[in-house]
Parts: sequence; C-alpha cells; structure tokens
Amino acid sequence: MTDPVLSIANAHLSLDGNAGRVDILHDISLDVAAGETLGLVGPSGSGKSSLLMLMGGLEQATSGQVTALGRDLTAMNEDQLALFRRDNMGVVFQSFHLIPTMTALENVATPLELAGARDAFDRAQAELTAMGLADRVDHYPSQMSGGEQQRVALARASAPRPRILLADEPTGNLDETNGRAIIDLLFDLRDRHGATLIMVTHSGELAKRCDRIVRLRDGRIDVPMAKAAE
Amino acid sequence: MSLAVASRFAARELRGGLRGFRVFLACLALGVAAIAAVGTVRAGIEAGLKRDGAALLGGDAEAEFTYRFARQAELDWLLSVADQVSETVDFRSMVVVDRDGETERGLTQIRAVDDLYPLIGAVRLDPAMPLPDALADFGGVMERVLADRLALAPGDTFRLGEQEFTLRAILDRYPDNAAGGFGLGPRTIVLTDDLAQSGLIAEGTLFSTQYRLDLPDGTDLQALEQSAEAQFRNSGLRWRDSRRGAGGVEEFVDRIGAFLILVGLSGLAVGGVGVSAAVRAYLAGKTSVIATLKTVGATRRIIFQTYFIQIGVLTLAGISAGLVLGAGLPVVFAPLIEARLPIPAIFAIYPAPLFEAAVYGLLAALVFTLWPLAKTEDIRAATLFRDAFTASAVLPGPRYLMTIVALLAALTGAAIWFSGTVFLTLWTAGGIAGALGILVLAALMIRWVTRRLRRPARGRPALRLAFGSIGTRGGEATSVVLSLGLGLTVLAAVGQIDGNLRKAFANDLPEVAPSYFFVDIQPDQIAGFQERLDTDNAVSRVETAPMLRGLITQINGQPAEEFAAGHWVVHGDRGITYADAQPSGTEVTAGEWWPEGYDGPPQISFAAEEAAEIGLQLGDTMTVNVLGRDITAEITSFRNVSWEDAGIGFVLAMNQGALAGAPHSWIATVYAEQEAEAVILRDLATAYPNITAIRIRDAIEQVIELVGGISAATRYGALITLVTGFLVLVGAAAAGERARTFESAVLKTLGAPRRQIITSFALRAAILGLGAGIVALGAGILGGWAVSVFIMETDYAVIWTNAFLIIGGGVLASLLAGLAFAWRPLSAKPAQVLRARE
Repeated sequence: MTDPVLSIANAHLSLDGNAGRVDILHDISLDVAAGETLGLVGPSGSGKSSLLMLMGGLEQATSGQVTALGRDLTAMNEDQLALFRRDNMGVVFQSFHLIPTMTALENVATPLELAGARDAFDRAQAELTAMGLADRVDHYPSQMSGGEQQRVALARASAPRPRILLADEPTGNLDETNGRAIIDLLFDLRDRHGATLIMVTHSGELAKRCDRIVRLRDGRIDVPMAKAAE
Repeated sequence: MSLAVASRFAARELRGGLRGFRVFLACLALGVAAIAAVGTVRAGIEAGLKRDGAALLGGDAEAEFTYRFARQAELDWLLSVADQVSETVDFRSMVVVDRDGETERGLTQIRAVDDLYPLIGAVRLDPAMPLPDALADFGGVMERVLADRLALAPGDTFRLGEQEFTLRAILDRYPDNAAGGFGLGPRTIVLTDDLAQSGLIAEGTLFSTQYRLDLPDGTDLQALEQSAEAQFRNSGLRWRDSRRGAGGVEEFVDRIGAFLILVGLSGLAVGGVGVSAAVRAYLAGKTSVIATLKTVGATRRIIFQTYFIQIGVLTLAGISAGLVLGAGLPVVFAPLIEARLPIPAIFAIYPAPLFEAAVYGLLAALVFTLWPLAKTEDIRAATLFRDAFTASAVLPGPRYLMTIVALLAALTGAAIWFSGTVFLTLWTAGGIAGALGILVLAALMIRWVTRRLRRPARGRPALRLAFGSIGTRGGEATSVVLSLGLGLTVLAAVGQIDGNLRKAFANDLPEVAPSYFFVDIQPDQIAGFQERLDTDNAVSRVETAPMLRGLITQINGQPAEEFAAGHWVVHGDRGITYADAQPSGTEVTAGEWWPEGYDGPPQISFAAEEAAEIGLQLGDTMTVNVLGRDITAEITSFRNVSWEDAGIGFVLAMNQGALAGAPHSWIATVYAEQEAEAVILRDLATAYPNITAIRIRDAIEQVIELVGGISAATRYGALITLVTGFLVLVGAAAAGERARTFESAVLKTLGAPRRQIITSFALRAAILGLGAGIVALGAGILGGWAVSVFIMETDYAVIWTNAFLIIGGGVLASLLAGLAFAWRPLSAKPAQVLRARE
C-alpha cells in the first residue's frame, strides 16, 4: 500500500450519555489508501458512523491517533479541524443536513465561500447542473424531494474537490431508484476526481462496489480487511 | 363530554412541566405586575389623600374668595355652620432683604394667617417652636429654599412691601401644602394683621382668601356644599372639603396613574407578542401529538379545547404571579416610595387595581393566544410526518377572527372604563395598534430586503448566512422586530416629545418670552411704571393691561358649566381685561371691536380658538361675575390670542366702560435684554414696593422640572415595555437555539471556524436590532411629531441624541439576547448534533 491517506491507530472513543459513559469504539486501527473506496458495514449500533465521524474529525478520539493526509487530527482543535475539512474533506449524511434557510445553490456554494473561492457560485451552479439539478438551484430544501436533497448534499460535498469523501449511509433515506442514482453519482465523483471514498452502508449491493469492506461489531473491527470482491 | 376529555388530555400534557413556557409566564407576569403596581401606588396615594384630606385642606371644609375677603353675610353663614373659622390670605409677593447697601429680592407665596391657623394638622419649624411664638411681634417663617436663596437665617430681617419682619424659623412642614399644588414661589407665613401697613393687600391686588372650617362631627359635607352653592353660587365662593382635600393633586395623580397604566398596556402588548410566540413554538412542537390524537379519533373541538385549557391554566398562573408581584412590590418598597413622595400614601393591597390588571392580563392573553390556538384545527392526521403546521392557512377561521376582534374591542372598552378618558385611551390604543402594524410591515420588509441582499453578499459567507437566516419564513425576524420595536417605539416617542417640549421651554420660549411679569401694579402707579421702562434702551417692548378676575357664570342665559361642559374657560375664575381702543397687535377674526370711547351696553371680545371649542357665536351673551357683581355682555368680536410666547393673553376682554369702575390692578410684561433685567427689577421694586415681579426664566425652569418628572415616570413605564421586549427577545433566541445548533454543526462540518459562525450570529442579531431600532425611531418620530404639533402645539425637530440611543439600544439588546444563546450552538460537537437528527 502506498502512503495511507487516512490512518487510525489504536483509537478509542467513549461518549458521555444520560446513562453514564459509553464506550463506542475499541482499539480501532485502520489505514485507507489514496483513491481507495472503503465500505464500513455492520449491524446498527456497531460504531460505523462513529468511526466515520472520527475519520472526519467530527468526533475526537478518547485515545489513539487519527491521521489524515499526514496531519494528526487528534492534535487539532475544533477550528483547525473545521479548516482541515474545508480544504480536504467532503461529508454526505443520511439525512442530507442541508441548511433550511438556504437555497440549493447557496448550500452548495457555502464551503467554497468559506474557502474564499471567488467563483463559488459559478462552481456551485456547475456542480448542481452536473447533478441534474439545474432547474432547482433556487429551491429551498423543503421544496425538494429526498433524492434531490441528497444530490444537493452530494454536490455540496464534492464542489470543493475534496481528497477524501465521507458518506454516512447516503441512501438510507431514499427509495431504491434514488438510492442507486446517488451511488452512481458518488462513484462517478470518485472516478472523475480521484478522491478517496469512505462510506457507511447497510446495503450489500453497495458494499460490493467498494474496493474494501470493514465490518464492525460492538465497536470493534470484526473482519479487519476483506476485499469486496472476495 | 368533549370538555371532560379535553381536560384530561390537558392535564396529561401539563405533566410535562413548564418547559418552553418560562418566557410566556414571565411576559404575562411582568405586564400584569407593572399595571397592578402602578394601580396599587395610585390607590395608595388616593387613600392617603383621603385620610389626610382635612389636614391637606387645613380644615374640614374651605370657602375661597378671589380678590376679596368674605362679606358679612358669607361670614355669618360660615360661622353658623362651623365650630371655628380660620381666615388665611394667599398671594404672591417679593421678599426684600437689604444687606450692606445691596437689596436682594425673592418671589414668595405668602400665607397670611390668623391665630387659629392651622385649624387641623401642625406646622413644623426649625428650630422647633410653636407657630404663634414664631409669628408674634412681626415674626415670619419661610421655606428653606427661599431663606437659602436670600442668605437669611433665623434672627435676620426681611421686608414684605413696606413692612419689616424678622425671620424666626425655617418652615419645614405645614399641613395645607398639597392643596396649593404647583406654585411659583416658596412659602412664607406671617400674621394677616401684621400686613396692615405693608400696602400689599389692597382692593384690586391679586390675592385670595380662604376660610377654613372646623365642622361639628357628623356634618354632611355634601349637604353643606349644596347649601353654600345655593346661597353664594354667583358671588364667586369656591367650595372645597376634606372629601377631596387635595383636589388638584388627586386629579393629577389620577391622570398620571391612568396614563402610566396605558403605557403599561403597551408593555402587555409586547408581552403578548412573546406569549403568542411561545404558544406558537409550543404548538409547533406538538404537531405530531395533535396529528396522532386526530388519527385515533380526536375531533377538532377536543384538540382546541385541550390546548385552550392548557394555555388557560398557564395564563392564570402568569396573571396570578403578576398580581402577587404588582401588589407586593409597592408594599415591600413602601418606606422608600413614601420618602420620595411629597404627599401622603397608604400602601396596602387594594383589590380594585388588581382586578383591573387581571382583566387586562386575561384579555391580552386571550387576544394573543387565540390565533395560534385556532390554528391547531388546521393540523390534519394525514400530515403526521410532514411540516403541516407551517403549511397551513395564514389566517385562522372567521369565527376566531371575529372573537379576536371582539376581545380587542373589550380590551379597549375596559381601558376606557378603567382610565376614565376616552380620548387618551383611544389615542394610546391607536398608537399601540399603529406601531404594531408598522412593525409587522417592517418585519416583512426586513425579511424581503435581506432575502434580496443575499446575492450581493455572496463571497461573504457570515453576512450571507445572516441575511438568509433573517429572510426565512418562520424565523425570528417578526418576533424580534415586534417585541424590541414596540418597546423602543414608546421610548423613542417619549424621548422625542420630552426633548421637544424641553427645547420649546428652555430654548425657544425664553427667546420670545418676556423677561418679567409684573403684577399688582396699582392704577396710580402704571404711568410712572411705564415711563421708567419707555426711557430704557435695553427694553424692547412693554405690554400692560388692566386685570381683574371673573367667573363666567352664564352663556345665553344657560349655566356656563352646562353650555361648555368640561371646558377650562368656565372652570373657576379667569383673568379678564378691558380696553378702549383695539390694542395694537390684536387681530380680530370675526365681528368688530367696539368704537373708541364706546360707553354703551357691555361688549365682549372673546378668544377665537376657545370660542370655536365651546361653540360661541357672535351675538351670544355671557354673564361674568366680577367681585360679586354680575355683568352680562354681548360677544361682538373674536380675536386671536397667542399662548405660545408667554405674553399677556386674556380669553375675555370687555369694553372699558364695563369694567373700569371695578377695583383692579395692572399687569405688565417687560421684554428686556438679559443683562438689564436685574437693574430694571431693582428700580421698579424700589419705586413700587407693593408690586410683584415674576421672572419668566424661573417659572420656565419650574415647568421644565415638572415636565421632567412626568417624562421620567413615563420612561419608567416604557422601560417595563422594553424589559418585556427583551424577555421576548430572549425567548425568541432560546427558541431559535436548536436551529442555530444544527446550523453551526453543518457549518463546522463544511469547514467554518467558530469565529465565522459567531460573526454570522452576531450579524443577524445586530441587523434585526438595527432594523427594529430604525423602525422604532421612525414610529417614535412620527408619534413625537404628531403629539408635539397637534397636541402640545410646539415646533418639532428630531432629537438626534435620543435617536442614536434608540438605535444603539436596539442593536445592543438584540446582540445581548442573541449571543446569550450562542454558546451552546458554538460548543456543540457536530457529530452528536447531526446524528441526533438522523
């Protein structure tokens, strides 16, 4: 394997809940290569999404180390992490998480604006057109279907051309047709821009399209490295 | 049946506690508390005035005469009904102090008394001594402010007219203080007998006499008043008794109280915005519960009743808390309030003001909650998992709209009933409604503008985010602009009116007003008086006029109080004048001035504006009682009288022949350069010791002080509105916290550092505050202009310091409330927030 684009070493994640401290992830170690497509699978509550959040710096490991593009995410503060994501990562959620007070175009332009891109809106427009949403740019999230919202979310994640694309069950809230379309778009993005794609999914069919699958159970990696094709 | 089910549902829902209703309760409680507290203080003062009515009057009852002492028949009647009768004489004069060849003068209000004074109550002197001892052998006492001004100490001598007196003590407190009301000079008390040689009390000089009566226990005051009225109605006798011992003060307190309660109503209106927002937010969170209830068979009526009962219970809780607060605070702070009040007050719990506050609270709560409650009916079972609440119709059903209109009418009706003033209430209600209307439009406008500003703001994400958030439907814009805006509007209007009034009194009036009013100039002194001034280059203008006092008793043979009910012109005696030729500067608007040397039947020239208000026509007859003599005259002309420049203005002027024979004095206004004022006063007062000079600047300062007191009270009232508005802001910010937390999480995920996020939050708060401030200022300037121009009849100019304070205050309040709820959104971890919404 070439230098990993993302590397996790002995990561542990505990969170404080109403019922006390809960251990979410135990001793996770994992490397992801540049351009690789990794599928995170496992039963509900196994820690897939938490692991994805850890990779994106959206959650800080209680112990261990998370390195992305050679930078130690565990040593960064919240703002440094935000800036790192802005420059290097795109995230897609199951529930889209579009900002309801913004139009589709504005949602997509936001990360570009945050990065100071002068052509933020032109690029956002182009991205939405590429997603087949040219006629929906001025629509608010509440005026769009779930499939459309997820395409906007995808456009928002991909517009800054991130080197790492994280997707948390991107088809979980969609019907089969829309789900398939979203997956096609995701893989197309990976192919066209050479991003590393890490994806949480329940879908076996989707997992099969990944280069590699990591299965989690009770917060631990169950099958450390399994080739999707195997 | 449905009510019982709804009650059970409501009880179950209420088990959830008061979460989400803190602002609801606080808004309602604060609004009700403010009104209850003002009402309680007013009731306390009224009770105090009633208890001390006799002491405030200086007797159980009083008969007052202007310009004269009681005639024998009047005195006989007074002595026949009372155990004791005490006579006092009240007039304005100058205290003169000669010291080291210099002469100093101070205006004073003299109370000349007899041995019986005070009939009721006690005088307190410093050093302590009995009043008779202090007044014996040409002794006198005066209030500290006057003694200090003239550098007098007990033992020093001073002159009143031609008579010398010795100051024996400082007058700390005297019983008949409040009855005089607002006076221009501090009080000096001497014995009437000692004034015999002073030359001050002569026929035609301006004085009044009071006969205080010590009545037998159980005297029917009402019957006695009627008897006095019947016998002496047209002789100028004015009756007062301990039922309203401090009539003027009582009326003033009553008016100010009514006005402050109306200001308090604006606080309740702002609170209503918060109440409405709280109910709306609560019901929005209940959409799925309501849809589920409908799915299992609940009718629209049951749904409405369920939430109506819940909100009703909370409303009663809020009102109760407000009543406890409003009734309790004045009682708790009674010692503090009493120490600052110049009049007596009994602080206790009075049911009437509490009832009034409760009625206002209940009606306001109904008005503001019925709208969102009515919209629960629009939620359909089929829309269980959709955003049905925001998608429903804008207006509630017609029957609810009609109920809301009826409730508004009831609220206005109640305000008219309780305040007793239709005019003021309708103006206030109209003002509040107008301001609310303007603010709603402004909120819509701000949303529209910010939506359009998003495009130019591209590339500045914090600003664009702020615009996007403000422009969105269902955001905070409406409640922030309404709540903050209404409070600021009231403050802005008060500031603009107060500032313009002060400006008119302090800057504009002295420029056009005379330097001095001189009164009590005897007819044989007027020529010399005029001569001294005519030869003075520093004097630009002198106006003189004979002055008498007269009571308009009849108009066209009908009692004047009936013909012109409530008009000030027929209320008590007025200054009247006479002239032969039409004075220069007098502008006759209708009819004709009598010919020079006219000596026929009496004629009247009446002030045109007041004539129009009363409905007088040329040819009408008017009977005026002057010094006990009835003169009936025909109105032959109307003329313009200017009250704005503090010059001589008489509502009623007669031809010379009608009045010249009656004893009278002259008054004069002197317009002189400020530097020459002291010399003019010295010369005239030395030549004519009996005349009294009133320095206009001093009088204006007193008026400014009074205006200042009233506007301070109004500001406190407006402050309650602002505090309530701030509570609503806090409520709106708290309600928006969840949305901001989500937004912050998404922005962090997309790469926004916290600085950028907080900048966006601060920008949206500042923009809304700025918007509310600007609109409030606009509405306040409009209100201030209308009141200044149409009611106060003064010129209007925007008071910019006040304007900037209002705008700055709006931005600051909005920022404080907005940023107080920024911590959680900023500190929340994006993963947890976003996953919680999966």
